[in-house]
Amino acid sequence: MTTIDLDELLENLAQCRRCGICRNAVYEDKGFDGVCPVWKNSAGFETSFMRGRIQVALALLDGRLEKTEENAESLFSCTLCGNCTSICAAEFDPAKCLESVREVLNEIPNAVRDTIAKKILENNNPYVDENKTRRDWVKEVGFDIPGTGEVLYFTGCTAGLKLPETAKSTAKVLNAAGVNFAVLEEEPCCGSVMIRTGMVEEAKKNAEKALEMIAKSGAKKIVVTCAGCLKTLREDYSERFGLDVPEVLHMVEYLKPLIESGKLKLKKSSEIKKITWHDPCHLGRALGVYEEPRDILKAIPGVELVEMETNREAAMCCGSGGGLRSYDGNLAKKIASDRIQDAEAIDADILATACPFCEHNLKDGANRIGSKIRVVDILDLISKQLQ
Amino acid sequence: MVDKKVITELSEIVGEEFVSTKQDILLAYSVSASMASDAVLPGAVVRPVDTEQVSKILQVAARYNIPVTPRSGGSSLQEEVIPEPDGLVIELMRLDKIKLHKELRSVTVGSGVTYGVLEKFLKEHDLFLPVYPESALVCTVAGNVAVNGAGPGSSHFGCTGELVLGVEIVLPDGKIITTGSEANPYSPGPFQRYSFGPDITGLFIGSLGSFGIITKVSMKVFKRHKYYDHNTFGFETHEQAEQFMVDVKQNDINGVFTSLYEGPVLELFMDMIGEELGVPKYEWPFRTVSMTIGRVREDMMRSDAELAKKLCEKHGGHVIGISQLPYQEWNGRLWFFVRACYVHGWHWRTLYHHQTPINAHRSVEEIRDVMEKYGFLGHTAGFASGHSSFNAYPHLYFDPQDPEDEQKIRDAHKELAKTLFKTGAVPFKLAPYWADAIEGMDNYMAFLELVKKTIDPKKLMNPRVLGGL
Repeated sequence: MTTIDLDELLENLAQCRRCGICRNAVYEDKGFDGVCPVWKNSAGFETSFMRGRIQVALALLDGRLEKTEENAESLFSCTLCGNCTSICAAEFDPAKCLESVREVLNEIPNAVRDTIAKKILENNNPYVDENKTRRDWVKEVGFDIPGTGEVLYFTGCTAGLKLPETAKSTAKVLNAAGVNFAVLEEEPCCGSVMIRTGMVEEAKKNAEKALEMIAKSGAKKIVVTCAGCLKTLREDYSERFGLDVPEVLHMVEYLKPLIESGKLKLKKSSEIKKITWHDPCHLGRALGVYEEPRDILKAIPGVELVEMETNREAAMCCGSGGGLRSYDGNLAKKIASDRIQDAEAIDADILATACPFCEHNLKDGANRIGSKIRVVDILDLISKQLQ
Repeated sequence: MVDKKVITELSEIVGEEFVSTKQDILLAYSVSASMASDAVLPGAVVRPVDTEQVSKILQVAARYNIPVTPRSGGSSLQEEVIPEPDGLVIELMRLDKIKLHKELRSVTVGSGVTYGVLEKFLKEHDLFLPVYPESALVCTVAGNVAVNGAGPGSSHFGCTGELVLGVEIVLPDGKIITTGSEANPYSPGPFQRYSFGPDITGLFIGSLGSFGIITKVSMKVFKRHKYYDHNTFGFETHEQAEQFMVDVKQNDINGVFTSLYEGPVLELFMDMIGEELGVPKYEWPFRTVSMTIGRVREDMMRSDAELAKKLCEKHGGHVIGISQLPYQEWNGRLWFFVRACYVHGWHWRTLYHHQTPINAHRSVEEIRDVMEKYGFLGHTAGFASGHSSFNAYPHLYFDPQDPEDEQKIRDAHKELAKTLFKTGAVPFKLAPYWADAIEGMDNYMAFLELVKKTIDPKKLMNPRVLGGL
């Protein structure tokens, strides 16, 4: 059963007057140098950006288009990055609408989406059968991390299972700041990808389970290193599912005051030169966290922070969001390469971000074009600069 | 459906990736930004990358008698790119090259280059293409040449057509020609439109792709203005305001954008976006002229600004002195109008047309009459758009989820075209609905038909426009 009010959704979709500003607007005054990363990096038909997707959505909803996997392809070839929402001149949120359309139309077959949801429900993560391995990194940090405590580091599936360095770095940084923190013994997936791909009923079941496990840990505050986990735990759990979640902070929000107050001291970097910041869509456009990570980077002695042409509200996406990385991996990586080229255009040595999902895809994007730019998580950078 | 054999041939030209007959893709090309229009499903869509590919595609279309609809930004508002049933849409956004001819004060752009992209490019050279359609962030320059649009900048520089030095066209049989000075293969570039006799370039301006496909346009560019004056002028009668606009032109005051608003219309706009744009609250008079004067030299700007104030008072008006409105119209020209058009929830049909400035009030009267008769919300405002013309842009609002309301607007729109025509107004292009409105132009239309038959004997090129000739 969908939680979406269909009339309201249709009314919102009707706000699209098909002006097409969501395709490739270049508007320096507002920081836009293009809008849709999918349009730019695909064959570029109308359905590859939001104007066309909305037409397809309306036709699928009112029956003009048969509800087949092929006809619904464009609904899933979208990172839900929200750049279209940032520039839309009308009073609605196209990206949010598309997310809702995916939910309403989730009877349309989609093997990739269904497999991800099934894996999460069965294994508590979308990647491996044995979820317990996601805590293996704890053994390598050199100190004990309990499973219960007032501050909970919710690692996230990608950091836990694919990029454990970020998890280790986070633990080191928290430890250096004198924070007693816990990591769940068997952490579940937050369910972000299920919500984004329209499997909201399944996501709700998962959320209830996850929250129960979080509650058992005694957490009063949750810190995360994944922008997707942040949006899901902070916003979706309460707004969509009505769940009462403890305060959720991204580590960049949590660390900024610790650095500013001198509780966490950073030493000068000998190897970091020019560094640029990639705004994860869920951290930036979705939750408005733009300045904290920049302030942290600027606080590292010796770092020169340089901005890519598109940043903050108008930042181009890394390509991995909205389920696109699973649905069309090649397209996702192509978009990532494009973003890497943005960093190359300003001669950055390092591209830093704060989302393992972005990091993972951007690294693939850099490899794809043989770029020498180092893609790093901001926690990995900070951990190397601890005094 | 387009025959599989044709699709194979098109794929060989552009690559399989850039041809589609997918149902969802065809559906997305069945409409444009034109509201209250019937969607028409094409049979295939193809996305060529250069002129040679466009030429080969048109040869295929001609061989198989497939009607063709050229399309670029898809932002047109008057059904210009609605395809033919089972026809072929040629989408031109991949033709995205820009070449600056700095010494010739001109630029050549491919059909996929939008105003936003070009603005950024030219700004780096301290230049600008000084006419901006309201959809400038989406609209391509070539597309705007094909519809001969207007917008901010037109008050001094005229419609888009006035800035065209030449075009590269693929004719319906696939032959490629270049007009203007570049017709000479030894030419250093675009510097003179009126070359080799009749204005062949002009034939394609406002032709809506009915004579061929524009693949490149060469445009005049200008040094960016450095000095601006933004001011507003109030009048109690339409004659006062209209005479002021005539006198502004007569005295060579460089109003790059001179808008004329009816009091209630300006109130409506300001209710919607006034606060967002920082325009102070004000009880706007019966008529307001909002003007931005732009000059490359400060003394010229100051002289123009002073004279404008004197002329306003001479015609019985008063200087309002609110600069934020014209400032936003001009400085925010890539955004202001898009925002004003979409911030409210209504859908709308428009009926762009030109009047003379002293006839501007007739457009207001006609839309008021039709609003009263049919019972809908709407408005019109406009701006000086050249030597002595005024571009009016009536909007007729409707609820997109109410079919009866939409039909009412379609009927009112049709009637308004007829009544506006009788006021002496002229459209800048023959969008489909003007066909029923025009009368007393039999010889003109017969000649136009002859031209069409000569250039496109199979009538394959965007057949729904030019009155369906």
